[in-house]
Amino acid sequence: MSMRKTLVLVSGLLLTTTVAGALFAQSDPSDSVPGDPSDPGVSYADILRGFDDPSSWLTYSGDFSGRRHSPLTQINRENVNRLAPAWTFQTGTLTRGRGFETTPLLYDGVLYVTGSNNFAWALDARTGRPFWTYQRDLPDNLTYGRVAPVNRGFGMLGNRLFMVTLDAHLLAFDRRTGNVLWDVVLADYEIGHAATLAPLVIDDKVVVGISGGEYPTRGFIDAYDPATGDLVWRFYTIPDWGEPGSETWPNEEAAMQGGGGTWMTGSYDPELDLLYWGTGNPNPDYYGASRLGDNLYTASIVAVEGATGELKWHYQFTPHDIHDWDSNHVPVQAELMIDGEERKVVMVANRNGFFYVLDRRDGELLLAEPFTDTTWAREIGADGRPIVLNNDGSGGCLPDQWGGTNFMPPTYDPALELFFVNARETCSSYVPFEPEYVRGEATTGGVVWTDRDVEYGALRAIDVMTGERLWEFRYPSATMAGVMSTAAGLVFAGDHQGNFMAFDGATGENLWYYPTGSRIWGAAAMTYILDGRQFVVIPSGTTLVAFALPRYEFASPAGGR
Amino acid sequence: MQRTPGTPVKLLAIVCLAAPLHAGAQVSNPFEGDARAIRAGERLYANRCAACHGADGKGATGPDVTMLWLEGTNDEHVFQTVREGVDGAVMPPSFAPDEELWAMVAYLRDISTVPPFDPAGGDAGSGREIFAANCAQCHRVNGDGGTLGPDLSNIAAVRSREALIGSIRDPSETVEAGYRTVTLVAADGERIEGVVKGEDAFSIQVVDTDARLQGYLKANLRRFVHEDESLMPRFGRLRLSERELDDLLAFLGTLREDASADR
Ligand code: HEC
Ligand code: HEC
Repeated sequence: MSMRKTLVLVSGLLLTTTVAGALFAQSDPSDSVPGDPSDPGVSYADILRGFDDPSSWLTYSGDFSGRRHSPLTQINRENVNRLAPAWTFQTGTLTRGRGFETTPLLYDGVLYVTGSNNFAWALDARTGRPFWTYQRDLPDNLTYGRVAPVNRGFGMLGNRLFMVTLDAHLLAFDRRTGNVLWDVVLADYEIGHAATLAPLVIDDKVVVGISGGEYPTRGFIDAYDPATGDLVWRFYTIPDWGEPGSETWPNEEAAMQGGGGTWMTGSYDPELDLLYWGTGNPNPDYYGASRLGDNLYTASIVAVEGATGELKWHYQFTPHDIHDWDSNHVPVQAELMIDGEERKVVMVANRNGFFYVLDRRDGELLLAEPFTDTTWAREIGADGRPIVLNNDGSGGCLPDQWGGTNFMPPTYDPALELFFVNARETCSSYVPFEPEYVRGEATTGGVVWTDRDVEYGALRAIDVMTGERLWEFRYPSATMAGVMSTAAGLVFAGDHQGNFMAFDGATGENLWYYPTGSRIWGAAAMTYILDGRQFVVIPSGTTLVAFALPRYEFASPAGGR
Repeated sequence: MQRTPGTPVKLLAIVCLAAPLHAGAQVSNPFEGDARAIRAGERLYANRCAACHGADGKGATGPDVTMLWLEGTNDEHVFQTVREGVDGAVMPPSFAPDEELWAMVAYLRDISTVPPFDPAGGDAGSGREIFAANCAQCHRVNGDGGTLGPDLSNIAAVRSREALIGSIRDPSETVEAGYRTVTLVAADGERIEGVVKGEDAFSIQVVDTDARLQGYLKANLRRFVHEDESLMPRFGRLRLSERELDDLLAFLGTLREDASADR
């Protein structure tokens, strides 16, 4: 890591912070969020700039590419071992059975954070002190929202924040006060729906998805008008009966309750105007006999036009899935030189244990290699379909129902051309049976037997050109924690024992760790720089913890506020 | 709510054959011990509960539900818990018909109950002495004894006779979670044997054979090895005759009676 680079970056940021500081001075910071009352807030152009301004973080993955790769280099391989907690925010709300899965957004020195049980906060990004707290009054007959009372973050545009809820609504807030501006219903929560993802704001649209694929539901992606909350378009992940794709279901009834949730934030290519979105398991999860066929577009990635919601292409990772292997992952974009030609690609490390590279213009499969050791399938055939060796686990280990990885964000470092993912090595077998349908009850349709003695987790570095594993770092159990990388060549990861860790991305050497005291579950770190000091933030248990180098480690340009 | 045509409601059909519920002071399970209801309950459980409580009821994200009766619950209480869910926790309420709930209760009760074993022949008094001489250094009963192995006060209620004999004759066959053996070699070459209480990527928490609780940083160890063998010695026939084993089991069986009398 070159010293000069850091200096340039810091002095570049000096300008930004001075401007922000000037705005700040004009307002009274005591009750609501600071700022110029005439500040129009976040523009779409700001979101498009993504990581160009590392003193903000305006969309779930930091930018539209889904890479979660920050340009910040103040914290680097040499000094990361001196990283220390700068502040801790106690949310006071417990996520039973799941995790604190959010990624905060940062704008003008304020972190906007969603929490479990539909709490939300605006926090001073330098101290973790709250400006406002919101808690939604939820009905007591939640369905999936009770099983997974989680939320993964806000979307943001202008002075508005957007958040989905466990009773399957979409809300718009005034970021300065936390007041709700509008509230629209996405779907009927009483039949099994909930909403948990971070909305993705694209040009004049708030794009959201839905949870509930364990119930007799039909998944969709929706786009809403950020000003009014009016529905602009809806894309159903299971086609209307008679439309292309519906022939992969035995009958209309099975299709219309066939699941295919869209509960993880996608990525977006503004030039192609294509949204890349993962779709969930077919319903019932483990019982396939009532839904013979491929069950499109479940367990797939869909490329949907931002303007219209029209499907451009799809690729199904797990045809006719019977393992609850949702494909709800962050699709990660990159530009790769393949056979002398620059290809715009989208990459997915899938719950089924394979790492895929697809051309993101047309969905052509460029690479598919296993990144876990299980025996479900070891190769993808020329027709793009897995060559299944062992579909129920009777012939060796299958990934459990949580998969070879899950929705926790991976990261991609374009300088190293390495994709980093927390892999889960588990050993399960699946016994299906015909389920009963009861309103408001999940219809899993089977039992999963897992040998808990042999599982482990591992952070793995995958060479995106070959799919080969370059290195791994093992944890004693399978993890659900996400990963972030920075231009300093660092990879930040969490594990199930609660360690928050930094690695040398090139070698896999562990450089630093901090035991947070609670498993890191479903969340990846985010990072930003304020007043010349780089912070790294991770949700863990009921807390949000920010790390930074001790102040004496670097010259504080403004001397603090 | 959609019900697929041609998906017959088999489970309901089975359980509805039995008698309707009676009103009474303490509602008892109309399907108690009914083999068909238990089978139906097993499937319902697998479908709706196993994801959280484990396919074998031994717990996953939700707690172990095979010890409920042992801990002094009754059928009605379990029924109500399943009906209402647990407030403030992820345990959901159930909207399913009463019959289905009772079938699940019958199933849970079935897997929770270990038949009391016949102490015939065994002399509990002699068993107590054998225990004191051979086992108490590692196992507590009713508050006395060592801490390297699990507390055995309640063991006869939660393990079958066969399982207990297996644990005593061949301990390494099944090693209890929380009591896995580890061997550590410290930087100075010292060897430490113990059972693993906790572990992460960087450290390991051990109770050693001197019953000392000690944490170690993996980076400071020369090596550490997870062993397949139990730290409990094998008690083969030379060490513990069939007669002595019977006495020991009779002793452990009386503890079970003492324990349930307390409730
Ligand atoms: C989404 C996960 C989840 C599902 C599904 C679920 N449970 Fe639970 N259950 C829990 C949790 C967590 C607790 C512990 C609640 C607490 O006390 O904090 C619990 C508690 C219980 C208890 C009380 C245990 C005790 O020690 O008192 C019983 C009985 C029970 N569950 C039975 C069931 C049955 C039967 C089903 C299926 C109809 C079921 N549960 C479905 C998560 C779940
Ligand atoms: C040197 C220590 C030691 C001695 C002596 C010892 N045990 Fe153990 N025992 C253990 C440990 C450690 C375990 C847990 C590991 C395992 O399951 O093997 C255990 C497990 C058990 C279990 C299984 C418990 C369960 O939850 O299933 C039983 C039963 C048992 N011991 C009985 C005995 C009896 C009876 C004796 C005396 C004849 C005895 N042990 C002597 C250390 C000891």
